[in-house]
Amino acid sequence: MSLLTVDNLSKSFSVAGGMVHAVRDISFAVERGECLAVVGESGSGKTTLANMLLGILSPTSGSIRFDGTELPAKRRASHRRAIQFVQQNPLSSLNAKRSIGASVRLGLDTYQIGERAQRWAKVEDALEEVGLPREMRHRAPSALSGGQRQRVGIARALACDPELVVLDEPTSALDVLVQARVLRLLNDLRTRKKLTYIFITHDLAVVRNVADRVAVFKSGQLVELGETAQIFTAPKHPYTRSLIGAVPVVDDAELDLRNRLAKGT
Amino acid sequence: MSTLLDIQDLRLSFKGLRGITDVLHGISLSIAAGERVALVGESGSGKSVIARIVLGLLQETRSARVSGKVGFDGAEINTMRPRDRAKLRGTEMSMIFQDPTSSLNPTFTIGNQFAEVMRRRDPKLSRAACDARAIEMLTEVSIPNPDRILENYPFQLSGGMNQRVMIAMALVNHPKLLLADEPGTALDVSVQAQTLRLMHDLVEKHGTAVLFISHNLGVVREFADRVYVIYRGNIVEEGPTASVFHNPGHAYTRALMDAVPRITGAGLPEVPEVSDAFLAPMVRHDRGAA
Repeated sequence: MSLLTVDNLSKSFSVAGGMVHAVRDISFAVERGECLAVVGESGSGKTTLANMLLGILSPTSGSIRFDGTELPAKRRASHRRAIQFVQQNPLSSLNAKRSIGASVRLGLDTYQIGERAQRWAKVEDALEEVGLPREMRHRAPSALSGGQRQRVGIARALACDPELVVLDEPTSALDVLVQARVLRLLNDLRTRKKLTYIFITHDLAVVRNVADRVAVFKSGQLVELGETAQIFTAPKHPYTRSLIGAVPVVDDAELDLRNRLAKGT
Repeated sequence: MSTLLDIQDLRLSFKGLRGITDVLHGISLSIAAGERVALVGESGSGKSVIARIVLGLLQETRSARVSGKVGFDGAEINTMRPRDRAKLRGTEMSMIFQDPTSSLNPTFTIGNQFAEVMRRRDPKLSRAACDARAIEMLTEVSIPNPDRILENYPFQLSGGMNQRVMIAMALVNHPKLLLADEPGTALDVSVQAQTLRLMHDLVEKHGTAVLFISHNLGVVREFADRVYVIYRGNIVEEGPTASVFHNPGHAYTRALMDAVPRITGAGLPEVPEVSDAFLAPMVRHDRGAA
């Protein structure tokens, strides 16, 4: 059984002058332990989808099933714990007034994970797991570099012991060297803790190297869904081809591949 | 080709609460007339402050100490009077920023902002003449219905459109040097690719020299003739783009290149921790080598 099944999911917003259909009739399934990348341009509905999966927005129609049960509009704590979120901008997603440790601990307190007396130790374990020193829990977010903050964001999500992690552009705000390290960390954690990822990004080069499957979104619709290797050897939808055609590349092998795929031959 | 921008041994430090922080440790960089040069580095490496020094803005900041030579078109920016430096901005040199929507003034129409820019060069220009010239420039950046766009406010246009408006505005006075700081980073990849191609063709046609500041190696490879790699306030490698990309000589440049994920799918690279090799002396590539 798939961990997550999305059936005919739609979300519309009413705005001045009519309706905006942010997500239109989407169906897909995510298997346990896989990394599904969700790609598309801004406005394609990626974030609206994430918000529905997290229970921040309720769908206009359609259903989301998690581990066999349909998720209601009002989520139970156990479901909120099991589906965690890592945000794009690590500076604005951490409370500046709270120490790193307090931010990480919040989830543990909310979901009553572990004995109260052991929670600080659990927080430090979580920090260690993402490659940060244990004593960093006393620091403020402003004292950390961008890469460290993103690691805290990951530690915060993983401290709640989730099954599914929704990552919204987790490395787009980072420098390339830092990005490479954080991506490796995410990969290691996924295998080690048997996690399932929904990895939202616009960076196809990242997708090629981290995802098992790719879902391509355009104007709220799912236009292509396939194995990563297949998408990057024989993309079927013209929109997928045009997205690949716009990727800035650094070596000649990539340039050849990109130009070949963009032309569709 | 004559040298348009000639920076020699540029040093910059900031005086702060915790003493003096050195930011640039003797940078030398030159751009010939009409040449497209990229400056690549991570955040905090000092790439953006170089643009601010060339514009003459940091020299007017009290906490900043700037020394060295910044020659521009035969004049010396560092010792120039602030008034003369101000005259160069928007006329002889202009700048494009990362986020087009927030760098245009939200309270004026596009037409108004074009007129303001053009009157920096020629204060007596009539509004009709400004509009005519603006329409000409907007057509060059492939904006449909340019006469209608002049009546619009920036928030009425998409990010990609605003970026094109910025490019048109930056080039309207035929500057000799265009400073582009991470242009298009805030845009979608396909829009970014389009605007960069457009900017590339336009500066080539007008013979404008460009200092292109970016952290994105792929974008640099497509845009620039020559590349400087900057790390912690030092230039670590310089050379023609093809040569640097085919044959990176400095440990830091190699680490950067290795860290970029490839669409050919080589997997995620092992990234070295910051090492002493990153502080090794600068590597220079010969001109014409590839």
